Amino acid sequence: MKHIPKSTWLKIRRKHFFPPLPFPKVAPKDQKAAQKDPKIEEGQGKAVLEIRNKQITIDSGFLSQISERMPEGDAIEALLDHAIAHYAFCPWDFANYLRLYAEAKRVCKDKDIAKKATDHFMDVVVDTYCVKEKESTIPSLYKHMEKGKIDQVICALYQKIWGKDLNVSGFDELVKKLMRIPYMNKKRWAEGIKRFTHALRPLLEEEMFNPASNPLGDHKSMFSKESIDKGLMELAQSASSPKEFSELVNDFKEELEETGYLDQGIGRGKGQESIANILYYMKLAQNYTLSLKKLPEKKSGSIYPHSHSPWEIEKPYYDIDIWTSFGKILPGLTQVWNRKEGEILYLEEKVPNCLIIIDSSGSMTDPRRNLSYAVLGAACACEAYLKCGSEIAIYNFSDAEVGGKCILPFTKDRMAIYQSLCKYFGGGTYLKPSDIQVFEDNDNDMDIFFITDMKISNFSEVVNYFNNIKNRVTAVHIGESVHSQRFALSVSKKTNISLYHVQKKEDIPKIVLGQVKEYLHQMF
Amino acid sequence: MKNPFSEFKDFRPKKREIPLDKIIASKEKVMQSLIKAYDKLVEQEAKELVWLVSYHSVIRAYASAEKTIKNMEYGVEDIEEFLFEIEDSSKLPYPIMGLSGLYVSALCNRAKEREIVLDLQNRNIALHLLGYRLPKGKKLIVYGDLGDFTGIGLNGGEIWVEGNTGNWTGAGMRMGKMVIKKSVGRRTGEDMVGGEIHVEGKILGVGNVRYGRIYEKGGIVSP
Repeated sequence: MKHIPKSTWLKIRRKHFFPPLPFPKVAPKDQKAAQKDPKIEEGQGKAVLEIRNKQITIDSGFLSQISERMPEGDAIEALLDHAIAHYAFCPWDFANYLRLYAEAKRVCKDKDIAKKATDHFMDVVVDTYCVKEKESTIPSLYKHMEKGKIDQVICALYQKIWGKDLNVSGFDELVKKLMRIPYMNKKRWAEGIKRFTHALRPLLEEEMFNPASNPLGDHKSMFSKESIDKGLMELAQSASSPKEFSELVNDFKEELEETGYLDQGIGRGKGQESIANILYYMKLAQNYTLSLKKLPEKKSGSIYPHSHSPWEIEKPYYDIDIWTSFGKILPGLTQVWNRKEGEILYLEEKVPNCLIIIDSSGSMTDPRRNLSYAVLGAACACEAYLKCGSEIAIYNFSDAEVGGKCILPFTKDRMAIYQSLCKYFGGGTYLKPSDIQVFEDNDNDMDIFFITDMKISNFSEVVNYFNNIKNRVTAVHIGESVHSQRFALSVSKKTNISLYHVQKKEDIPKIVLGQVKEYLHQMF
Repeated sequence: MKNPFSEFKDFRPKKREIPLDKIIASKEKVMQSLIKAYDKLVEQEAKELVWLVSYHSVIRAYASAEKTIKNMEYGVEDIEEFLFEIEDSSKLPYPIMGLSGLYVSALCNRAKEREIVLDLQNRNIALHLLGYRLPKGKKLIVYGDLGDFTGIGLNGGEIWVEGNTGNWTGAGMRMGKMVIKKSVGRRTGEDMVGGEIHVEGKILGVGNVRYGRIYEKGGIVSP
């Protein structure tokens, strides 16, 4: 059989409540995979199911082999049940997969073993789900499939927990431990995978020396870019530090590159750590939404008809309102329009570009080691401006006088922006107002987002500079210090500068970008 | 207007039961009783803010632990799972490691199985006082490191530790055998009155041994 009958697919879709998946394929094994895994080339490889970006592909060679031992239709049904359940139940999405993987890695400390443990655990969960919740032919498939050592253990487990004979014996001690795990309880998967990995670890380690691919395929390539995006966002939020996030992302570097999630070359050499770091702040920032005030209405200089007044001889004719003058030109009867300068929307309320000034001196947190509120705050600001189609320029400084600075001209290139944001110089703090002047010359109306702990050696010069500019400035100081109080006092009368204080992560969403105190004065 | 969902009013999804459901239910029951008994022990012992290891407090706590688990049915897998529960601090309000160790010792001493294997490798627990009064005929094999007071008052049983143990290992042991594959801390064998301690790694310090023997890397160090 070279294809799956439509009736079979319809039956399985109905069984799984019509998942939005494309029609599955039956095809020979992936040549690329065969090149990577010599066993597959020799025809001994065991991966019979491939799930790549929602497309399920069943190996035609396996189908013809298994059809000698069981009805081919049953085998197809079992394989499709298994594959669909991965989308419908476990892991469901990349975020869940990462969560399970992180727990497994905590137990075994090795990324390859953790990946294998996660795959096996998810297989047990979905197979049990199919057997319990759906009428599935999965037991028959396992009964007739060739099994490696771990497959035998898992089949022995299935015998106990499904109550079906799968032609396997032994492994009683191990199965006793495995059969106590609540596979069907989603809330307890995290503790379940820990116990699962703990019990299977010796066998998994053994398997590393004698690699055998998972018969029902691995699950790393099954996620779409959107799912990966969401997963990384959740991981960034749950990770205790950038290091933890980086470690996990680096574990999946190959898979992420394979799906095209990471641009080629980004993860090379020394940059490896920074790409994970950039991703951490990028994904974390995407969890926050900062309010962004658009530029205010501005007098444009154009005038529009406002009210009427009687026409006099010396007044021009072109202002005559012929409707209210009843078509007559007579002084006293004829009326002319009085025109008034109007307040119209400036540039259709476009959000201006933004210059991010970020302090990365020694007194600031190193974004590679710990969560830097400065980088996160600046990243959130960037996201808010980028969403509105504006461009971002970066001025990342420590001791700018001796070259401790990174300047990025106005751009929409997110990766370049984050690379400049995440740079950390350490050392002293000196801000050169003349550097900022260059940006101002390019874009007069730009907003400025300034984030620092205010411990700047040329503090008076900086305060002076901010007191003399008319751009909207959102100044954020990290932590409380004498310097920040001095800054607040110095700019307290400036209506174009809004000052925010960030002491913890939760303070960041409170920042309103481009807020000008003047609006409030106008309103009340 | 007719409720469009009224047709589904009598629809009940088919509930299939598989043996796993029963296994999990019975296991949960046992685990709940083990946790309840542990909570009771903690409640009794943690009246003072700090639980200190002293001769009287250990005897008292162990007696309470034995009393709380008196009529309970459990197996080695339940003990191992209880250790996972201890690790998850959100489940147990007071994971006091000394008390936990005594409680697990009581569970091991009362277990039906003669050989008990506990795998503590790569786990976030440091159990103290494990192996307390392990009786003759019982063998406790532990993979991973243990805390202080391992095997105190050993009563003829055998303890094999595939890892390190802390200070006061085998203190007050009466008879039996302890084998520690890696190193032990200070005051090893303090007040022991019989039995043997074999350390394949390094002994940081030997205590005042009354009777019994202590070996380090095959060579006798006490008496």
